Amino acid sequence: MQAQTQTATEPEINPVVEQKIQRLRELYADAPEVGKAALEKGLANIRAELSEITASGKESAGRAGARQGKVSELTAILNITKDGAKRLRGLLELTEGNFKAADIVGTLHDMRFVFLDNDTRLLFATAYDGEWDAYIDDFVTKIPTSMDLFFCNLEGWPGIHAPSIKDWLVENQITADAWYVANPNLTVAEAKRLQKIAPALEEFLDKVG
Amino acid sequence: MQTQAQKEPDREAAEKIQKLRELFADAPELGKTALENVLKELSSQVSEPPPPIESAGRVGARLGNRSELTIIVPLAPGGAARLRTFLQLLGGNLSPGATKVGTLHDMRFVFFDNDTRMLFATSFDGDWDTYIDDFIALIPDYLDIIDSAWEGWPGIRDPGAKDYLIKHQITAEGWFVANPELTLAQIQRQARVGKILDKFLDEISE
Repeated sequence: MQAQTQTATEPEINPVVEQKIQRLRELYADAPEVGKAALEKGLANIRAELSEITASGKESAGRAGARQGKVSELTAILNITKDGAKRLRGLLELTEGNFKAADIVGTLHDMRFVFLDNDTRLLFATAYDGEWDAYIDDFVTKIPTSMDLFFCNLEGWPGIHAPSIKDWLVENQITADAWYVANPNLTVAEAKRLQKIAPALEEFLDKVG
Repeated sequence: MQTQAQKEPDREAAEKIQKLRELFADAPELGKTALENVLKELSSQVSEPPPPIESAGRVGARLGNRSELTIIVPLAPGGAARLRTFLQLLGGNLSPGATKVGTLHDMRFVFFDNDTRMLFATSFDGDWDTYIDDFIALIPDYLDIIDSAWEGWPGIRDPGAKDYLIKHQITAEGWFVANPELTLAQIQRQARVGKILDKFLDEISE
């Protein structure tokens, strides 16, 4: 490990990166021992890899949220109304926690509903393709009724067709400080297309190969 | 046996719908209207149940091959400042470590409640224990740099590490995945095949 970091492939020293690393060392001076030790071990790798990732950093999904490549994140933590948790749980029980209707949105990779703090708050987190405004527009036009059904149990929900709906969402959304996507350039549509053509093509390649 | 299994879900569905109507009796107006509007749709979904959400193992929900991990932890004093600076150093992009975990689809770190708590949420293939073992084996130092900002984190090599994670993980009550059967390995293989096809089509059209 030590030897590896001293080889000729080590990237040239970047003053901005070095400054950040210095600041990090200061902050970790009073971290727990495991953290301090991990930082020293990890820095060797991190320094070598930093130059590679500067080109592919986290970007913005638009009005709120982070994006990597074509895939964005939406994270909201919302207050549940009195008795709202019972209704939400009732809905989730009925659909057995599954949302086949969410397929209709077409750009949604994954979505979760998580109850926090003794059912007083709800975490709503999704991964989706592209830009925030277009994504919310899809919810509004494609599944407005489902949105009202679920979100009417949250404090201050103005209704999916209210003019203030986007402002409400932006206000309640928290942008992730770090966002990682394994295949940042693969949209839901592209993944579905590949799923259709790949098996046939592999069979074809097997035969000609 | 067959007929009984057929009959039971129908009655169960009717009961669930009835219960839902009662729960929505004092919901806001737009919620009540929405319920009536989708009940027909919902009831068809109920009698034709979608693949059920299962368990990802010791904790977490799974749909098909895809699982969710949602952890909410209190941050240690000074932890938020350390962690933010670390994440900023990486430009909010964790791919140097994360790509080593070949079952990890997506991952987010979110600070909330005035930097006193953190949400760590991921989407991954398969079973919880295998997944956590991968983190421990492949990127232990990244984990300790990050998790040492968490109140009470024992260290990834500590025998209590998994118990700590389980204690702070909350299983999702609702979980949707667009392609639940596709593992990351399959997706990546298909993406490669797709590229070969596109290249081939380009070449023959020249």
